[in-house]
Formats: sequence, C-alpha cells, structure tokens
Amino acid sequence: MADLQKLIDFVTKTNWLILFFGGIIGLVLTPMKFALGIILGGLIVAINFHLLKRTLKTMIQPEVVLERGRSVVGNVLVKYYIRFAVTAGIICLLISKHIVHPVGLLAGLSVVVASIFVATALEISRLLFKEAV
Amino acid sequence: MEFLVGSVWAAGLAIGIAAFGCGIGQGMGLNGAMAGISRNPEAAGKIQVNMLIGLALIESLCIYALVVAMILLFVHPAIAPAVKALGGL
Repeated sequence: MADLQKLIDFVTKTNWLILFFGGIIGLVLTPMKFALGIILGGLIVAINFHLLKRTLKTMIQPEVVLERGRSVVGNVLVKYYIRFAVTAGIICLLISKHIVHPVGLLAGLSVVVASIFVATALEISRLLFKEAV
Repeated sequence: MEFLVGSVWAAGLAIGIAAFGCGIGQGMGLNGAMAGISRNPEAAGKIQVNMLIGLALIESLCIYALVVAMILLFVHPAIAPAVKALGGL
C-alpha cells in the first residue's frame, strides 16, 4: 500500500516537473503560441488530475461504498462529465481564438500520460533490476 | 464545401464516440472497483490508487479526441476559405 501511495505521489510530482521543464524548453526553443499551448495544456491536465484524485479519495472509501452502493459510480461519472465539459469549454476557447498552437496544446495535454509512462518505466526497470540481483 | 461538411461531421462523430467510449470504460472500471471494495473493504486503498491511474489515462484519451475535433473545426486549413466563401459567417 505504501508503495502504491508513493507511486501516486511520484506521478503528481512528475506532472509538475514535466510541465515546468516542458514549459521552459517550449519558451526557449519554440514560438510563443506553441509554448503557451504546452503550459496551458499541462496546467489543464495537472489540475484535472488533482480533482480526479480528490474525487476518488472521497468516494472510493469502504464506508461510502458500503453505504451508497453502486450510486457511487454515477456520482463519480457525473463529476467526470462536469470536469470534462469545463475542460472542453477552455480548450474550445483556446483553439477557436487561436490563442495557442494546437500541436503545443496536444503536447501539454500529454503531461499526465508522460508522467504515468515514466512511473511505469521506472517500476519495470526496478523489477528487472531486482530479478537480476 | 463538401470538405467542410465532412470536417464538421468528423469532429462531431470523433468527440461523440470518444466520450461514449470513455464513459463506458470509466463506468466498467468503477463498477469493478465497487464490487471489489464491497467484497474486500481492506483493499480499498490499493483499488483507489489503481483506479486513479486508469481513470487519468482514460480521461486523457477523451481530451485528445476533443482537441482533434477542435482542430477539425477551427484550425483546419480548408476552413478559412470555406467560411469566406459562405460570407464570413
């Protein structure tokens, strides 16, 4: 359990780190709109991840599940759709007003996926290393 | 003009199918989690962490589809001439 909690902390920290370094690299090497896409996209998914974490921490508890049963599923899905609608509105505004470059935005939106892949790669390498020893 | 109509159709279908699929995927995942916690409440912590990773990945897929739909609607190179031809709607 402690290992799993560590994994989540790692993913959360890596989100902000990738966003920070991606933003800096974007600002230095790419045009302003592209860098803004990376930064805003990264911010959107990092905040989304935090909200998802909070929702799951409050909902996926033995007491809540035993008390409410399957209605927890509907509750989490409604929250997901509200979050998704807000995200859709922001992304629509960013792209339709040409505030950001769409490819930069896609890169920024991949921050959470990238940090999960990094965490997975580290876990796999740790497993392989353990087996080798 | 046909290209514009095709783009609008593609954008609508893309986000519609993606949201539908992600909703079903999340629902199935949550359903399994609820069943697991009901049977074994001590496993709630482990299930919570794995759910978080899984749901984050599912959500990002839907966001990608949304961005592709937005690109088809607003940034596609054929959109500006088509809108101009329609009288700058």
